[in-house]
Amino acid sequence: MVVRNVQNVIGGCGLMAIGSFAAGYAIMTLPLGSLALAGPGLFPAALGGILFAIGVALLALGLSQPGERMEPFDLRSFVLILSSILAFALLLQPLGMVPAVVVLTFLASRADSKLSMKATAILGLVLSVGSYLVFRVGLGLPVSAVAFLP
Amino acid sequence: MFPDFFNNIILGLSTALSFNNLLFCAIGVTLGTLLGVIPGFGTLAAMSMLFPITFYLDPTAALIMLAGIWYGTTYGGSTSSILLNLPGTPANAVTCLDGYPMAKQGRAGVALLMTTVASFFGASVGIVILMVFSPVLVQFALRFGPAEYFSLMVMGLVAASVISIGSAIKGIAMVALGILVGLVGLDINSGTARFTFGMFELLDGLSLVALAMGLFGVSEVISSIRSLETNKVNKDISARSMLPTSDEVKRSWGAMARGSGIGSFFGMLPGVGASVAAFMAYATEKRLSKEPSRFGEGAVEGIAAPEAANNASDQTSFIPTLTLGIPGSASMALILGVLMIHGISPGPSLIMGRPELFWGLVMSFWVGNVLLLILNIPLIGVWVRVLTIPYHILYPTIMVLVCIGVFSVNNSTADVLTVILFGALGYVMRLLGFPAAPLLLGFVLGPMMEEHFRRALLLSKGSFTTFVSSPLSLAFLLVAAALLIWSGFSAYRRKTSASFKGF
Repeated sequence: MVVRNVQNVIGGCGLMAIGSFAAGYAIMTLPLGSLALAGPGLFPAALGGILFAIGVALLALGLSQPGERMEPFDLRSFVLILSSILAFALLLQPLGMVPAVVVLTFLASRADSKLSMKATAILGLVLSVGSYLVFRVGLGLPVSAVAFLP
Repeated sequence: MFPDFFNNIILGLSTALSFNNLLFCAIGVTLGTLLGVIPGFGTLAAMSMLFPITFYLDPTAALIMLAGIWYGTTYGGSTSSILLNLPGTPANAVTCLDGYPMAKQGRAGVALLMTTVASFFGASVGIVILMVFSPVLVQFALRFGPAEYFSLMVMGLVAASVISIGSAIKGIAMVALGILVGLVGLDINSGTARFTFGMFELLDGLSLVALAMGLFGVSEVISSIRSLETNKVNKDISARSMLPTSDEVKRSWGAMARGSGIGSFFGMLPGVGASVAAFMAYATEKRLSKEPSRFGEGAVEGIAAPEAANNASDQTSFIPTLTLGIPGSASMALILGVLMIHGISPGPSLIMGRPELFWGLVMSFWVGNVLLLILNIPLIGVWVRVLTIPYHILYPTIMVLVCIGVFSVNNSTADVLTVILFGALGYVMRLLGFPAAPLLLGFVLGPMMEEHFRRALLLSKGSFTTFVSSPLSLAFLLVAAALLIWSGFSAYRRKTSASFKGF
């Protein structure tokens, strides 16, 4: 077995994994019912089965048909962008919008090292104040600008 | 009948053009467009915010304003789809497919102009159909039972899965995955929680906006950071650069006409929204085109058709709401709410009993769309300037918009965390060549599809023949099968040169 198309092999295995998990979980935890009186587990189990079948087909294709090279996985951008969102989510309510946006901006901009520290700080401030004006003042979103911990 | 018709039009125009109504129409469409541009902040949120104000207005003005927001957001939503690959509303997701490549080629101005024109065209067709055919169409829409709805949605989903440049089986896989993700939450029919793993935040399901933002926007940002080092920016933003070539204009006419027809049809069916209409229009254009490979690379038909479709469907969605009292979506339910608060019951009696309300509203659609046309065209110059901002400043801004936008829908940080999940998934999908748009559509249609499926089987006592015994249902399923076979053939023919591109 030669891996001819990396994307399809990985994709196929992924689909098989998701499909079997979904179907398995549905069958084990949800009542399937009958066709006339379908239970909540019927559709998910069927879908899981479909996903698994497509996964097998894709895997087979990946082992037999050549394909293009896959783009490299940009780990740095991946981690930084996703952590910036996480930071925002965790900081928004305890600390308020301004700190959350500043941290978000800081982490996100680290993914592409073009901005200097000073420029990043300015951008962060502009974005946070701007968002506050648009969303809090303009649209009435219930967040505080900067919350002071009791 | 004709003298009546013209009387109604005149009655409607005089109502719609009264200063009060005109003012609220302008407020509605302006707010709608601007809010529609903000990715994630959708139609429903915009309408909900202004809903309390409607208590103080007379019903006609209230309806005119809410309606203005409703169709205005679809105009604005295409802006961020084109410029940022972030759908402004789910119905604009298809516009990303060709609109964003056009922007990257420096033709953002053309794209923005064409979507505005197509939106106006589609809305006009929708309004005409609304005006002329309402009673007839209502009868037609009533013939749709659960089996027909299910088959219709299957057709829509199959169409969505074969439009992707990559292989159709990946598209179908993504549709199935989307439906599965859409089923997370409480099952209405049985009251059981599905796939919630004990987390009560998931009882309501995953957030559509978070999914769309993560899948389209965040994944785009992650993959673009490295590759847009040499971002060639088009500095020419004069009026001339907004104009399409005559070739593009020729191609667009047919696309807009077909898109409007498809959109008007889908809009009439309660529950089936603008998103399905947009997908079907895109799929149809691609199937009918002599050069399907242009789609996904910046084909102008690829944005004209879906934008005409979603605006046409916006207008015709009023048909079941106003004439039957059946709201097709949550936004329509808000509009019904306005009527009920003012003590007006929708239904056949509405047209007869309060003609100035009905026709005034319908005429205000014309007025509103003209206003939107006038409003949006100069704004194109503004939007295009956004593209001249260097990407390393733009993308943190996008991230902020996404995060706050998602948060603002439900004031929920859980939704923001959902974005992380779908951002990661979206990026992996890009690398592996899986298309994102079918997943979105599967997510939107999945729960409804399941409900119709179960109901149809319930009514037929478990027999599958119910899906083929009805001519309509059979027709939809046959079209779906034809689409599958067709794409199977084309894939077989271009075996060696298949390019697996995600978005």
